[in-house]
Amino acid sequence: MSTAALHQVEMKPKEYKSEVSVVWCPGCGHHGILNAIYRALSELGIDPTKMMSISGIGCSSRTPYFIKSYKMHTLHGRAGAVATGAQIARPDLVVMVTGGDGDGFSIGGGHMPHMARKNVDMTYVLYDNGIYGLTKGQYSPTSRPELKAYTTPYGGPDTPMDPLLYMLTYGATYVAQAFAGKPKVCADLIKGAIEHRGFSYVNIFSQCTSFNHIDTVEYYRDLVEEVPTGHDVTDLGAAMALARRPNGKAPMGLLYQDKRPTLVDRLQEIVTKVGGHPDYDLNKIIDLSRP
Amino acid sequence: MAKRDLIIRIGGEGGEGVISSGDFIAAACARAGLDVYTFKTFPAEIKGGYAMYQVRASAERVYNQGDTFDVLCVFNGEAFEVNKSQMRPGTAVVYDYPGGDFEPGELPPGVFGYPIPMTQAAKDMKSIRSKNMVALGALSVLFNIHESTLVGALTKKFGKKGKEVLDFNLQGFAKGKELAAKLTKQDPWRLADVQDPKDIIVIAGNDAVGLGAVMGGLEFFSAYPITPATEIAKYVATHLPKRGNHLIQAEDEIASISQVIGASYAGLKSMTATSGPGLALMSEMLGMASMSETPVMVVDVQRGGPSTGLPTKHEQSDLFLAIHGAHGDAPRVVLSVEDVHDCVDMTIEALNLAEEYQCPVILLSDGSLAFSTQTIPAPKPASYTIVNRRRWDGQGTYKRYEFTPDHISPMADPGTPNAMHIATGLEHGETGAPNWRPENHWAMHEKRFNKLNRIVDTYRPTEIDGSGDADVGVITWGSTIGVVREAVQRLRAEGLKVKGFYPKLMWPMPVQQYEAFAATCKKILVPEVNYQGQLAHFIRAETSIKPIRFNICGGLPFTPAMIVAKVKELI
Ligand SMILES: Cc1ncc(C[n+]2csc(CCOP(=O)(O)OP(=O)(O)O)c2C)c(N)n1
Repeated sequence: MSTAALHQVEMKPKEYKSEVSVVWCPGCGHHGILNAIYRALSELGIDPTKMMSISGIGCSSRTPYFIKSYKMHTLHGRAGAVATGAQIARPDLVVMVTGGDGDGFSIGGGHMPHMARKNVDMTYVLYDNGIYGLTKGQYSPTSRPELKAYTTPYGGPDTPMDPLLYMLTYGATYVAQAFAGKPKVCADLIKGAIEHRGFSYVNIFSQCTSFNHIDTVEYYRDLVEEVPTGHDVTDLGAAMALARRPNGKAPMGLLYQDKRPTLVDRLQEIVTKVGGHPDYDLNKIIDLSRP
Repeated sequence: MAKRDLIIRIGGEGGEGVISSGDFIAAACARAGLDVYTFKTFPAEIKGGYAMYQVRASAERVYNQGDTFDVLCVFNGEAFEVNKSQMRPGTAVVYDYPGGDFEPGELPPGVFGYPIPMTQAAKDMKSIRSKNMVALGALSVLFNIHESTLVGALTKKFGKKGKEVLDFNLQGFAKGKELAAKLTKQDPWRLADVQDPKDIIVIAGNDAVGLGAVMGGLEFFSAYPITPATEIAKYVATHLPKRGNHLIQAEDEIASISQVIGASYAGLKSMTATSGPGLALMSEMLGMASMSETPVMVVDVQRGGPSTGLPTKHEQSDLFLAIHGAHGDAPRVVLSVEDVHDCVDMTIEALNLAEEYQCPVILLSDGSLAFSTQTIPAPKPASYTIVNRRRWDGQGTYKRYEFTPDHISPMADPGTPNAMHIATGLEHGETGAPNWRPENHWAMHEKRFNKLNRIVDTYRPTEIDGSGDADVGVITWGSTIGVVREAVQRLRAEGLKVKGFYPKLMWPMPVQQYEAFAATCKKILVPEVNYQGQLAHFIRAETSIKPIRFNICGGLPFTPAMIVAKVKELI
């Protein structure tokens, strides 16, 4: 994020709440993630008018409604692509995408590699509940096969994917993971993601108390283990090794961070190379087509 | 009627210089002050296969590729065979002989043959790549293709590559001239003499769309390659950064249109360009643009469909998709271009309309225009009106979807104080907050549809070709208009009562203008290059007119002769 957007205002976390009331079920992990976002925005002093909050479709994709900011509630799976266009248009603003595992890795899975490798300067917070919440409980790309759900009454036939391994491979320059039950960890990682210049991905386990009866708060609490002290966040291999869950534990914390020019940096280089400016004489372009 | 134009067709193997020869002839004719309309067909393969380039040039305005060629220049036996059935008495054929890959045998009756040993001459010069230069030299002598302008065009192209390259090509050209001078001219064909120079450019349809985009104040373009639209992105990628703006290539068309919506919401004038398969993928997001009232512009260079269809061939079969391609009731504006001049002007117009009406605007071009280079007046940037979206003036309380007298609600760029709002695909009330009350959905539909009513009255009236009563009125769209213009002229020259009606605003339909036109005609004929008669369908659905459909779908455009014959059948 361009540092110009940071520390513009002094607002308490609750002052980032919009007038729209939150619609999630009691006990849903998404509440914790939303609170962590409020906290991160407050700690960074982000001016709400200088932020674009963008989502697709899903329970988690309702997030923008609850945050004071400019926002777009788009189509299932397309938030990242929409945000890419918005970010190119306004590289001076904070861009945040929020959405689910279905939204991001099923229908929207084709966009993930490209935001990451292009290093679009934005923060992507993925609410990973291992289920499709909004459509009432079908299995998702991160569901465990044991999950008996709406369309998998006998359990699922598919192997779940690990978002972290994908995002590390795709070239994200900030990759972190947390659990909604650890609000301070979530807030710190989201804060770091916003501060990071480039594509930041934060995967947050979030219990769905209505439809996912196996990935409970207790399950996630047992599953996660803090990234060991001494882990080198610039070491992609080490980050991958952690993401592969040695001893069965999912790493919590910052796994990887890299500095690379952002998409807009690269586009701006092209403009500089051709001497581009808004008053460039159109007749010079037209004259190229004279016979 | 005396023929005032000349049509030269060059055929050969893709990669043999067919396209560049055609380009040189077109440039030479344009330099000579003639009006030029070219037509090309490419093989779908990368290398090899039959390629064809046809140049029609005249001292008067040319509207289409013509009926058939007067002069054929073939580089190989395949090109000869492909075109043999179209040779008529009087056709002149220049062919590679002796030393080429075929012997033509006996020519069809009345056809004049000019054997030029192109391959042999090129081999003698130790470079097969000069074969097309030899052909050009011969054509220049035989058909009055002005040497001065042709050499001018060659010099412009090869001069950049150094004197050696230029001299070498000019040598090939001279050789061709020498070979042709030994032959006796028997046919009547010759290009019109050099005219006063005109302030023109020579540009292909796709490049012209790109030029229109850059001139129209475009600020963001997201591309995904697809035949026959990709050259638009190439042009924009080359020139848009000069104006300080960006083009990016997306991972697919869904991403392209998504990026365009995101950039437009964030304040930039944005567009993408594609063909039918891409437009089909974009349909869900076009509905979102319609619902969220976000300006987006999409160019669809139509090709043969459905599915992968005929990727390199001409068809006008995306009208249904352009007008209705989205779920729910999703209003948009659809325009279509007639020729390359329109490609510049109407791209600017389409960007303007998207900004003014805050909705998707789809501009339909087609495969034959995409690659057709034409002479058009050099555009004058200062003469175009550029429209930008209505932005909030900062007064009162901001409501993104506020009900206003003209149903257009001011937009506010992100970053504007006191105007935070959501752009959403959910049905919403005036503030943008979700709202499913029945009366709200209804009122919002009326807002989104009614804001477009004004276009029908303010858009320039549909051109009517001819006056008074007619036995047959021809309604057509897209590049077929240029064909009908000539057919109507020929029919009227024969004393027949025929008129034309040439809509460019396809949707919303100017229904009253259709009705008024039809009231002056006994019969209405609607020629279209598609199977179903897509415009005829909308005419049937939206007006009281009962059109006679006339459809072809063989991957090629109509010729004027086909329209003339059909109209005569009806009278
Ligand atoms: C094109 C399309 N297909 C399907 C849907 C239906 N749909 C809405 S949300 C959703 C999945 C939501 O799951 P996820 O993205 O994981 O988010 P969660 O609700 O669990 O937070 C689906 C399938 C849709 N809105 N659009």
